[in-house]
Amino acid sequence: MDVNASISEPLRSAAQTSSTAHSYNVRICHWINVVACVYLLWSGVHIFLDFPELYWGNTGYRGYPAAFRLADWGLSWDEAGALGDRRWGRNYHFTVAWVFLINGLIYVVWNLYSKHFRDRMWPAREERTLARVRAELRDHLRWRSRSHANGSYDTLQKASYLILIFVFVPLMILTGVAQSPGFTAAMPWLLDLFGGRQSARTLHTIGTVALVLFVVVHVSEVAAAGFFGKVRSMVIGK
Amino acid sequence: MIKRISRRTLLTSVPALGGLLLTGCSRETFVPPRVRGGLIGAADVLTMSTNRLLLSGQPLAREFSRNEVADPFPTWNQTNPKNAEYQLHASEGFKNWRLPISGLVARPRELSLSEIRGLPARTQITAHVCEQGWSAIGEWTGAPLQRVLEAAGGVTSAARYVVIDTFDGWYEGYDLFEVAHAQTILAYGLNGRDLPRGNGWPLRLRVERQCGYKNLKFLKSIRVVDSMVGIGRGTGGTNSDFGFHWYAGV
Repeated sequence: MDVNASISEPLRSAAQTSSTAHSYNVRICHWINVVACVYLLWSGVHIFLDFPELYWGNTGYRGYPAAFRLADWGLSWDEAGALGDRRWGRNYHFTVAWVFLINGLIYVVWNLYSKHFRDRMWPAREERTLARVRAELRDHLRWRSRSHANGSYDTLQKASYLILIFVFVPLMILTGVAQSPGFTAAMPWLLDLFGGRQSARTLHTIGTVALVLFVVVHVSEVAAAGFFGKVRSMVIGK
Repeated sequence: MIKRISRRTLLTSVPALGGLLLTGCSRETFVPPRVRGGLIGAADVLTMSTNRLLLSGQPLAREFSRNEVADPFPTWNQTNPKNAEYQLHASEGFKNWRLPISGLVARPRELSLSEIRGLPARTQITAHVCEQGWSAIGEWTGAPLQRVLEAAGGVTSAARYVVIDTFDGWYEGYDLFEVAHAQTILAYGLNGRDLPRGNGWPLRLRVERQCGYKNLKFLKSIRVVDSMVGIGRGTGGTNSDFGFHWYAGV
């Protein structure tokens, strides 16, 4: 037993770090997540267009001092309202939010259990150096990642994915829930956490823009690494 | 397949779980009067059940301080119903108007505005949260809906929903969990004055844990029913007849 373990352990970790294979769970959750995020973004845009202003604090209504007005950017309130269908938007946003949440929980619990996060996404001690991160950043800015040679993630990628999954997404969910009169009656601390209902709406919108930028970089990196090969590996796992 | 599993599972297991926590609460506490088809309906049930489990202790919605009040309070949608009956009563200051309370109550009756003002009152400084995205804080004064129903002898054991009709032709149903909440009031005062016409004079409903569109203005009548079937299109309210959520906690 001890002999087997001591042999198989290095082999196992070598196989994991040198392979681009994504597990069934990662692949299925990834593509459900893509569909869910497209729906969430599109329905969220519809909801926003029907009230195209952002405020800070607990109060915000038409005529109240706004932090952001779409009208200042060339699209009047009425024009924006004509583009947005909030009935469609609300129905789909709050339906797909459940798909997103349940899919995300399955992904997180599964990969905590399978040690995917620990083995492939948590940066090892030697990866957590400033020099290394600086070198990686230089490579990324030239659309070249040294990690792609052996298929494992580099420190920047690991950090990005972990922050996205364990910090950013929970904040998006909480800023969404903090706008709900039902959830905030049960959890009024949500209002304090984000500085008010309108602040939560503003942060939710800023987070959406940040998420879109993340996807732009993510897809660009995939393209730089060989688009069809990477997409194939996320579909069939090879 | 997805629809069948998720709906059946939800419809049976969630209320069963809730029943353990909330003895005396029924299916109506967790499930809208008519569950929509497909994934949207499953999500409706999930949202309402989750909210109701979290709210099972009937906590109050956040109450704010007076210096956060919006005065004048913003007006939206209907600000003066054209309805002839409304205009007649308005011209008389609603002095000859009575609020009928009918249906499944022990003693159906009509209450004048001064009788409603004579009931134990509640004042609350709360946020009006519109589904469009705006919110404003107002100081609402009114009679708890529960007290109003008790003035008619209370609801009978067959009662499931309280239906409110308005002078501008809207109706909404509310399950008894929402009705029983301390902040569910028929407001006749806003920011220390009589409720302005633009905000629903003479009476507007406050349900502080749901979006603005469930907070009906220009109340005309109250009836207590055992089912929403046969009222409007049967979905439970004008908003849900139009395709919006019936349970508007999100």
